[in-house]
Amino acid sequence: MLKRADYVVIIFALLLLPYLYITYWGNGSYGEQVVIRSANQPVQYYSLYDNHQITIAGALGSNVIEIKNGQVRFIEAPCQNKICIHSGWLRHDGETAACLPNGVTVSVVGRNTRFDAINF
Amino acid sequence: MKFVPHTITENRSLVMRFILLCCALFMLNGCEQQQPIYQQQMLTLGTLVDITIYGVDEKTAQAGIKDVETLMAGLHHNWHAWQPSKLTEINRKLAAGESATLDAEGEFLISKGIELSQRSNTLFNPAIGKLITLWGFHSDDWSSNQPPASSDIQALLKQKPQMSDLVLVGNQLRSSNSGVELDLGAYAKGYAVDIAIEALRKRGINNAIVNAGGNLRLIGSKGKRPWRIGVRDPRGTGVIASLETRDDEAVITSGDYERYFDYQGQRYHHLIDPRSAAPARGALSVTVVANNGMLADAASTALFIAGPEQWRETARALGIEAAMLIDDQGVVHITQALMQRIHFEKDPPPRINVVD
Repeated sequence: MLKRADYVVIIFALLLLPYLYITYWGNGSYGEQVVIRSANQPVQYYSLYDNHQITIAGALGSNVIEIKNGQVRFIEAPCQNKICIHSGWLRHDGETAACLPNGVTVSVVGRNTRFDAINF
Repeated sequence: MKFVPHTITENRSLVMRFILLCCALFMLNGCEQQQPIYQQQMLTLGTLVDITIYGVDEKTAQAGIKDVETLMAGLHHNWHAWQPSKLTEINRKLAAGESATLDAEGEFLISKGIELSQRSNTLFNPAIGKLITLWGFHSDDWSSNQPPASSDIQALLKQKPQMSDLVLVGNQLRSSNSGVELDLGAYAKGYAVDIAIEALRKRGINNAIVNAGGNLRLIGSKGKRPWRIGVRDPRGTGVIASLETRDDEAVITSGDYERYFDYQGQRYHHLIDPRSAAPARGALSVTVVANNGMLADAASTALFIAGPEQWRETARALGIEAAMLIDDQGVVHITQALMQRIHFEKDPPPRINVVD
């Protein structure tokens, strides 16, 4: 026979479940946040789900970065090589594009960052 | 223990106990909460250097970052391959048949370069600076380069510049071959992360990552968790594999996607094979894990140039146990030692060829 206390315990356990799920499983693959780093400047964070364009100053000039529908990309770069623009859209945790000459990198990270550093 | 039927009060105390237990669990979780991580990115050595520090107060972290910044600026200034530096001065003297006087760091770097080149069967060859110039990679803008004329390539091939042409006696360096031009690019960043970590340690920082592009060295861990390192997919923006690591290791990747130009549908990258005097073919990237950044950096270049057929024996000759090479078909060739530790992040996973 289940006592009243048992029900309370079960209800607590059920309430705990979504918290544990989100904390320990999360969403491994799709990113949540955009991390923008520019040399010698503080790191900037944006949600991957707020559409907007960001202009960021670097060593050579400005990069323009577009966040749209859960994706992010470089759309303008002051460098010659334009490798950052050719990288295209980033959406998964750990994806990174860099405008090396300008010293600007854009990375996508998940709820719990899965990587402490990327060897690129 | 005697079984007593529950009364209302006992039920209440049971509920209370459960709530307390939950609170205790949350508090335990709280104890596991990470201490702050300090991160700084700097543009130096022709790349982005990222420093991650864990487990010290902000003042110590800032002091450590400042030290690394000074060290990197010094390296950039002294050993730059094409802007006026100590190195370009040494090269000028070697080309003129004169003897160059080295400082302690120069003596260390060049003697190590000679040794590593010999151990790699000269696949790692920092004496081919002229070739790198010829291919247009001694510049910050290489995107519109074109391959050099084959007559120019042949002329340099004939000179056969080798590290073994150098004679280092004490701090005096000479070359018996005027074709030798030193370019430390294939191992200087590995050395840079080594001395950066050493500087952080002197500040009492025992948990850190210094990542100079594809050249990374780390110490310690992130509290109870090991550091988790992602290795970039050579044909994409994502991570192809990851590994967990702690204590003291270098993880270094050389790839054809760092410095390259496309000409008539063909990719020409900066990893020049001294045997053909042209970009090495067969590999997209090589990752080496070792306990020393300079060794791992030199090895990643040597293995890349060795290619899918010879990379394993080259790794052995350099004493490298943990390495992988991704070939131009996307197949991952990997040693047992690295396979045991690595986790592939792609779905479906790439084709994998494990070798002893």
